[in-house]
Formats: sequence, structure tokens, C-alpha cells
Amino acid sequence: MSKLPSMQVALDGAMPDMGLAEVARRRLVVRDSARRSIGRRRTAGRAMQVICLLAVPIALAPLVALAIATVSKGAGALSIGFLAHAPTPEGVPGGGISTAIVGSGEIIAYAIALAVPLGLFIALFLFERPGPIASAIRFSADVMSGVPSIIIGIFAYAVYVERFHHFSDVAAGFALGVLMLPIMVRANEEAMRTVSVDLWEAGISLGARRSRVARSVVLRGALPGVVTGNLLALARGVGETAPLLFTVASPTFAMTLLIFNDATQPYPDAQQTAWGTALVLLALVLILSVIARTVAWTLNRKTR
Amino acid sequence: MNEPIANSPPSPASGSAVPGEGGVSPDARRPWHKRRLLPSSPLYATLRWGAAGLFAAIVVGLIVSIVSQSSQAFAHSGISFLWSGTWNPDAGDYASGTLVVGTVITTLVAMIIVVPVGLGVSVSLSELMPRWLAAPLSTSIEFLAAVPSIVVGLWALLVLSPVFATDVEPALEGLPVLNRIFRGPAYGPSVLLASVVLAIMTLPTVVALSRTALGGVPIADREAAMALGATHWQVVRRTVLPGARSGIAAAITLAIGRALGESIAVALVIGNRPAIPHSLLAPGATLGSAIVNQFAEASPGLGTSAVIALAGVLLLLTILVNVVGQLLVRRRGGRRLLGVRGAVV
Amino acid sequence: MKQNDAATDTGANHETDQQTLFGDRSGQLAKESRVPAGKPDAGAHGTAVTLDDVSISFGDHVAVRNVTLQLPAREVTALVGPSGCGKTSVLRAINRLHDHTGGVVRGTIRLGSLDVYGTDVQPEVLRSRIGMVFQKPNPFPTMSIFDNVISGLRFNGVRNKRLLREMGIAALHNAALWDIVKDRLHQPALRLSGGQQQRLCIARALAIEPEVLLMDEPCSALDPVATAKIEDLIRHLSGEVTIALVTHNMFQAARVSDNVAVFLLGEDRVGELVEVGPTDRVFDTPSDARTKAYVTGHVG
Ligand SMILES: Nc1ncnc2c1ncn2[C@@H]1O[C@H](COP(=O)(O)OP(=O)(O)OP(=O)(O)O)[C@@H](O)[C@H]1O
Ligand SMILES: [Mg+2]
Repeated sequence: MSKLPSMQVALDGAMPDMGLAEVARRRLVVRDSARRSIGRRRTAGRAMQVICLLAVPIALAPLVALAIATVSKGAGALSIGFLAHAPTPEGVPGGGISTAIVGSGEIIAYAIALAVPLGLFIALFLFERPGPIASAIRFSADVMSGVPSIIIGIFAYAVYVERFHHFSDVAAGFALGVLMLPIMVRANEEAMRTVSVDLWEAGISLGARRSRVARSVVLRGALPGVVTGNLLALARGVGETAPLLFTVASPTFAMTLLIFNDATQPYPDAQQTAWGTALVLLALVLILSVIARTVAWTLNRKTR
Repeated sequence: MNEPIANSPPSPASGSAVPGEGGVSPDARRPWHKRRLLPSSPLYATLRWGAAGLFAAIVVGLIVSIVSQSSQAFAHSGISFLWSGTWNPDAGDYASGTLVVGTVITTLVAMIIVVPVGLGVSVSLSELMPRWLAAPLSTSIEFLAAVPSIVVGLWALLVLSPVFATDVEPALEGLPVLNRIFRGPAYGPSVLLASVVLAIMTLPTVVALSRTALGGVPIADREAAMALGATHWQVVRRTVLPGARSGIAAAITLAIGRALGESIAVALVIGNRPAIPHSLLAPGATLGSAIVNQFAEASPGLGTSAVIALAGVLLLLTILVNVVGQLLVRRRGGRRLLGVRGAVV
Repeated sequence: MKQNDAATDTGANHETDQQTLFGDRSGQLAKESRVPAGKPDAGAHGTAVTLDDVSISFGDHVAVRNVTLQLPAREVTALVGPSGCGKTSVLRAINRLHDHTGGVVRGTIRLGSLDVYGTDVQPEVLRSRIGMVFQKPNPFPTMSIFDNVISGLRFNGVRNKRLLREMGIAALHNAALWDIVKDRLHQPALRLSGGQQQRLCIARALAIEPEVLLMDEPCSALDPVATAKIEDLIRHLSGEVTIALVTHNMFQAARVSDNVAVFLLGEDRVGELVEVGPTDRVFDTPSDARTKAYVTGHVG
């Protein structure tokens, strides 16, 4: 610092009367610093960028490995018989997963019957009635969507299985429905928010009944978003295991339970079945997500 | 699904009772949702209020049933069920202490892995890559969110775990200094493997939310930095990352919430030993994995009640974390994240 | 690195010659103490920025065409014209902000004698010589007031604590903000009022000691009192810095500028420069009929 001509800026006082020479000197400091440091700044930046970019293959590796393993190991198990036949007892080769497919379908059907209409009406409630009640419901929906699925399984066990003393697909469907409900509610509400309030208002002031406005304006406008959100929630529900664990009578009555059960079996045949079922499940979830995305995409294209 | 709405009678007649019909209504200046224009059809109102009420009942029911069913265990072990003691049903010892520790450790290690990777990916996707590359990559990572946890668990158990046993864990034991937390026989199933699985499963949450936060930093802020002579990385490091700070914090908090509660995949790979693990390569147990494994074997009455009490502890933990996360998301005005994207989260 | 090296190492690089530090070629002013209160004649200090036949397009859309314009050093040049005629585009072309938005700049732009779009020019270094103030105040929301001011110095590799402090304080003085913020330098910048935020942005731009200051409607979000303060500031700064000021307010242009450049939309909705000259002349006796119509329409 000693060589630097002392800068006549009083640190705490008023601004001294600086001449242009002073300005020129400061200008020189910044120019020179900028020019001298640019190489270092660029190199350091590039190094950090490379580090960030390296994270991408690290993140994708498990996904790729998982997809390859599931397809390669699962494809060997797949056949018409695998889908159409009932499972054989443990350790006995052969058999399929038909009961698990049917069971899962039944559970999902119950879940849909509970969650889809309920989700729509709750969302309509939130949409139409801003206020403390709606805020409370919205907040609990957000918190509920973070409640672990295993806890929802325990809840379904407590309210159904323990009370009626038997396992049941209805209880499992209830659990899945409760799991999907908060996701659907928030997705539906977001979709409805994209429908302009003006339209809603216009409908109301024209003297239409709320129910008519809800049906003809809000739901019609929000439909693509509602479908997308519900399908994504469904995709998540289809893949859940924990809520079924304490509600379904036998692991052969649901695909995810079957995987859970067979994965830990020492028999290669059981593991093969697990991979096959995993592949079916993965395909199902993928199809649901792709449909959901396509709906969203078509919507976006239409509105633009 | 539209049926209940379609059923409501579209009769215009009943509306004529309302004053102001046909003209500008007297309360036209009030906010639209407060106007008392036409009364809702009774059926529609019932359905809306009924749905809202049912939802409230479900939320309350969930909490009440878990609290009431775990009361027997709390009566047996006292409030110290929450923190002390070991889980040993054979000896009549019911307490969640070791399991809470196991849950916290696996979650912590998972976050140590996922936060740097997730942030690197988010910054790459949102700041470094051209759109044509970022879009398909982020779709792939979002697809990872859709993979059912049981499939991740199956893969981790049958494919990843052998690799850990033969290659990864021995290699870690060979590390200087760090081998103090990586020691013991390499089984495969271990706290470390469970953490890796949790990191994989929470990655999409971290990436999706952080990316939105990064993208939400106004262009004006970036250009302000650029115009001062900042390099591209300086713009990212000094304006974009700080601007997205609270959104990233929310992303991590919600990922923690997910990691705490994930049970099935963890149950498959953690080795299920309900004791404080002496090393990351040792088997352990979490609240979630213990619920999965102990429930079927639990003796009726006290045993079942104790497992439900574990669920209660887990619920408390996740609600705490999630409320913090929601508040963080909200403070940024990022409610949308939990809408359609909720499936990803 | 050591800042003292920076200050003493003048002869090594021709671009740090004192002549070019003010963007002019006359080279006779570094020793003057302060510019006299009276306005110097237009172009008394040479030309800081030269635009030669500049056209800017976004994809197929040409925003502005064939602009040939000189910004006289250490004077204020106002850019006026209807919305969409390309004033902002021209301003952003000077510090190469279009590099990131896909705008294509044709023609030549020079800063002093340096070709702004030359192949060996590093945009970051170029931008460190040019300050920019945006339409909406945009202080860095996560930084304190003082960190905002010295952020540009930090970006440009200045690490010396004392130097940062001195130059930050000088910039705050220069932006007439010191007395207002001296007791709360470490509070978040967003706690300031809108007008104060805009002056903070000016201080931030001044801290890197730019040769040219580009201001894009800096008062459009401000009330009259705050606007008057910024106008004072512009007048005050014009002795040291070359200023390009975009404004929609003809009175403001008349009050603060030495020169005016009038842009209009051509037949095909492409912006073009129709007239440029000393403010008094352009406003009093416009040579172009379209200018006259536009100016009187907005003043009379
Ligand atoms: N990033 C961009 N991409 C595409 N077109 C752009 C972009 N920026 C500006 N344009 C177009 O260039 C033209 C000129 O815009 P510009 O912002 O320069 O006008 P302006 O004179 O500053 O207007 P205003 O007075 O409203 O600020 C407009 O037609 C605008 O649509
Ligand atoms: Mg503009």
C-alpha cells in the first residue's frame, strides 16, 4: 500500500473536493484490477461450472442403472402367463401375478372413488371461499402431503382393520385415497386459479347459480390441469407400498406388496417375480406420467 | 366424477327471490366471493361444505387415532418413550430413542450426499445448460420422482447392496481418517446404503424446488451484476444463489421431511438392527423401517400400541419439518410448487 | 493481488493512458481540478462513444436501424422517442448486454478507440468501464447497502479492504447518498425508499468509476422530488462521466442534457435516429419535421 498515492478521502467526514486527477487515479485502479483479475475470475468460474456439471451424471447414474436393471431382469419374467396366472406358493416355481394386478386395480378404484370427487369439491371450496377456513384447509393439505405414507397406513389400520377385525381392500383404498387427496386438492386448486376470476364473476353476476358457474366456467377451464394433477397423484398412489402393508390381507393381493415380499425371499424364482412385477409397475407409472404430461403440454399449446 | 354437479337442478326460477336480480346487484362492489348473489343450490353447497368437513375430519382423525392408539405404550414407558431406551419387545422394552437416532443419522448422511449433488444439478440445469439439453435432463430427473419407492428398494437390495458389500464398503474402510466412521464388516445392507437410497429418492425434490427458486431470481438482478463486469459464474454465485437462498432452504427442508418418513425402501436395505449404529457400515434401523418390520410381529395390545407410538413420533418429526418447509415455501410466495408439482415433491 | 501495483503500473497498457480514461482523445484534462460550472461547448472533450451505422435485431425483427451517433465525452446526451423505437436496445448494445438475450448488433460501436465488439474484447472487462442504471431500481436484495455499492469493485477483483471502503464511501458521496445512509450502511438495501434505492444503484454504478454511464429512464418509477434529486445528480456527474440518458420526459431532457438524440418509428415499425444535436437547437429549431411534431407534441 505504501506506493499508492494516499487517497484523500476522509473516511467519516464530508466529501472532499476531488479533482479529475483523483477520479482518473481511481479509474485506473478499477480498470487495472478488472483486467488483471479477469483470467483468474474466468478460470475459477469455469472450474466451479465443471464441478456443477459433474453432478449431472452422478444424479443420472442411479436412474439409468435402475432402469436397465429393472428392464433386463424384469423382461425375463414377463409373459402372458405371468400376467394371467395366479401366484404359486412360496418356493414353487411358475405362477403369475394376476391376483396382485386385480387386487391393485381394486384398491386403486376405491382410492379414486374417494379422492377424485372429494379433491374436486375441496378445491372448489378453497377456490370459492377465500378466508380463514380455506387457509386452514390449504395449510393442512400441504402438511398432509408431507405425512409419511407409512403413517397413513397405520391410520387406515386403526380406523378400519382394528375396528372391523379384518383386512380389506376397502381399507387399503381408503389409505391410498387419503394419501392422494392432498396432492389432488392442491393441484386442482392451482388449475382453477388459472381460470380467470373475471369469468367466474361474470357468471355469478349474470345470475347463474354457483353450481352452474362451477361446472361450466371453472371446471371446464381447469379441466386439463385437473386431469394432469389427478393423474400425477394417481401415479404416485399406484406405486405406494406402505399404506397397504397393514391393510391388505395377503401380499399376493397387491403388486407393490408382492415385490416387497418376494424381494426378501431367498428363491431366485421369487426374485424374478419381483423384478417382473417391478417392470409392470414402472411401465404403469411411466404411462400415467406421460399421459399427464401430454395433457399439460396440449393445454399449454392451446392457451398460447 | 362430475356427476354430483351435473345433478344440481339448473332452474333459474329460484334465483328471482334475490333483490337486485337483473340489474346491478346492491353488493356489486363487495369482493366477488363475499357477494350474496344467488344462493348456491343446496346440493352443491352441501357437497362443497361436506367435502371440506370430511377433509378436516380425516386430518383430525389421523392425529386422534394415532394419539389414542399409542396411549397404552406411553402409559407403559412414560414420556421417556420419546427419547430414551432401546427397542426390545422380547424384554418388554419399548422406546423410540435408538430409532430416532437412526432416523436422524440416515437423513443427515442422505442430505450430506444429496444437497451438493442436487444443487450442482439445479445450477447446471437452470444456469449453465442450453434449454435443449436442460429440458430432457430435468424431465428424466423428474421421472426419478415417479419411480415407486419399492422399485428403488428392490434395486438397492438386489443390485446395489452386493456392490456395496464387495467394492464400496471395503474401499471406504481403506480411507485414512474417514475410516473411523466407515468400519466393521461389509455386509451390504447398512446405514450408509440406506442413506444413499434416501439421497437418490430425495434428489428430484431438491432439484425441482431449487431449480424453480433459481429460475425465479429476476433477470434485473442478473443484469445488474453483469453490467458491473461480473463473469457468468460471479453472477450465479453472488446474485442468483443468494437470491434463491430461501427457496433452496425450503427444498432441503421438504427433502428432509421425505427422507425422515421413507420407510419401505429403507426397511429393505438398512439391515434392521434397532440399536445405535457404531459405524455407517453397520446395520441400523429408523422409525419407518422399524414400523414396517415390527408391526406384523407385534403382540396384540401393548406391542401394537408401541409400534403405533413409533408412528406418532415419526408424525411429530415430519410435521415439524414440513411446517417449517411450508413456511419457507410460502414466504417466497411459491405455493404453486405444491400444486401440480406436488406429485414430484 | 496487490492494488498498489495496479495504480502504479500505468505505462504498461495503452488503454490505461489517462487520455482514454475519460474516453476522449484531447488528453488535456487530467490536471484540471473541476469542470467550471458553465457548460462546455458540445464535444469540447472529444467523443466517448461512437455508434456507426448500428442496427439491432432480435431474430427476424429489426428493432432499430442505421444509427450513427456520437456521445460527446463528459456531457449528457438524452435519447428520446416513442415507446418501442429502440432506445433501450441501443443503450444495451453499448455494454454488450445483448450478448445474453439473443439480440444481434450490426455496425460498429467504439468506446474511445476500442471496438466494443472486437474479437479480442472481453465483455466483462468492457462492462467494468461502463456503468448502467436501469429503469426499475434493482439493488441486490440479499446484500447490505454498502455491499451493494462495492459489489462492482468486488466483481472486478478489488480485494483490498481499505480501498473498497474508500471507494465505496466516495461513490456514496458522489451519489449524494452518504448523509442518508451513513448510519445504516449494513442494513439490507431493500429498506431504502424507491428513490434512495435508485440513487444506491447509481452509487453502485459509480463505484467502478465508469467512463460512461448508461441510464435507462432512471426516474420513471420515482416521484417528482426523487426525480429532481436524480436530475441534480446527473448534472453534477456530467463533469466527470459521459452520460447517455433515456427519457420520455422532454422537460427532463431539456433540463439536464447537453445533446438530444431523437428516435422515431419508421414506416415499417423499425426504430431510427432522425435527429441529433445540442439540446437547445433540437428543441428550439428542429431540422426534421417529424422531430418537430414529436417534440412539440410532448412539450407544447
Ligand atoms: N430481448 C428481446 N427480444 C425480442 N425483441 C426485443 C427484445 N428487446 C427488445 N425487443 C424489441 O425491440 C424493439 C425496441 O425495444 P426497446 O426496448 O429498445 O424500445 P424502447 O425505445 O426502449 O421502448 P420504451 O420507451 O417502451 O422503453 C421493440 O419492438 C421490442 O419488442
Ligand atoms: Mg426502454
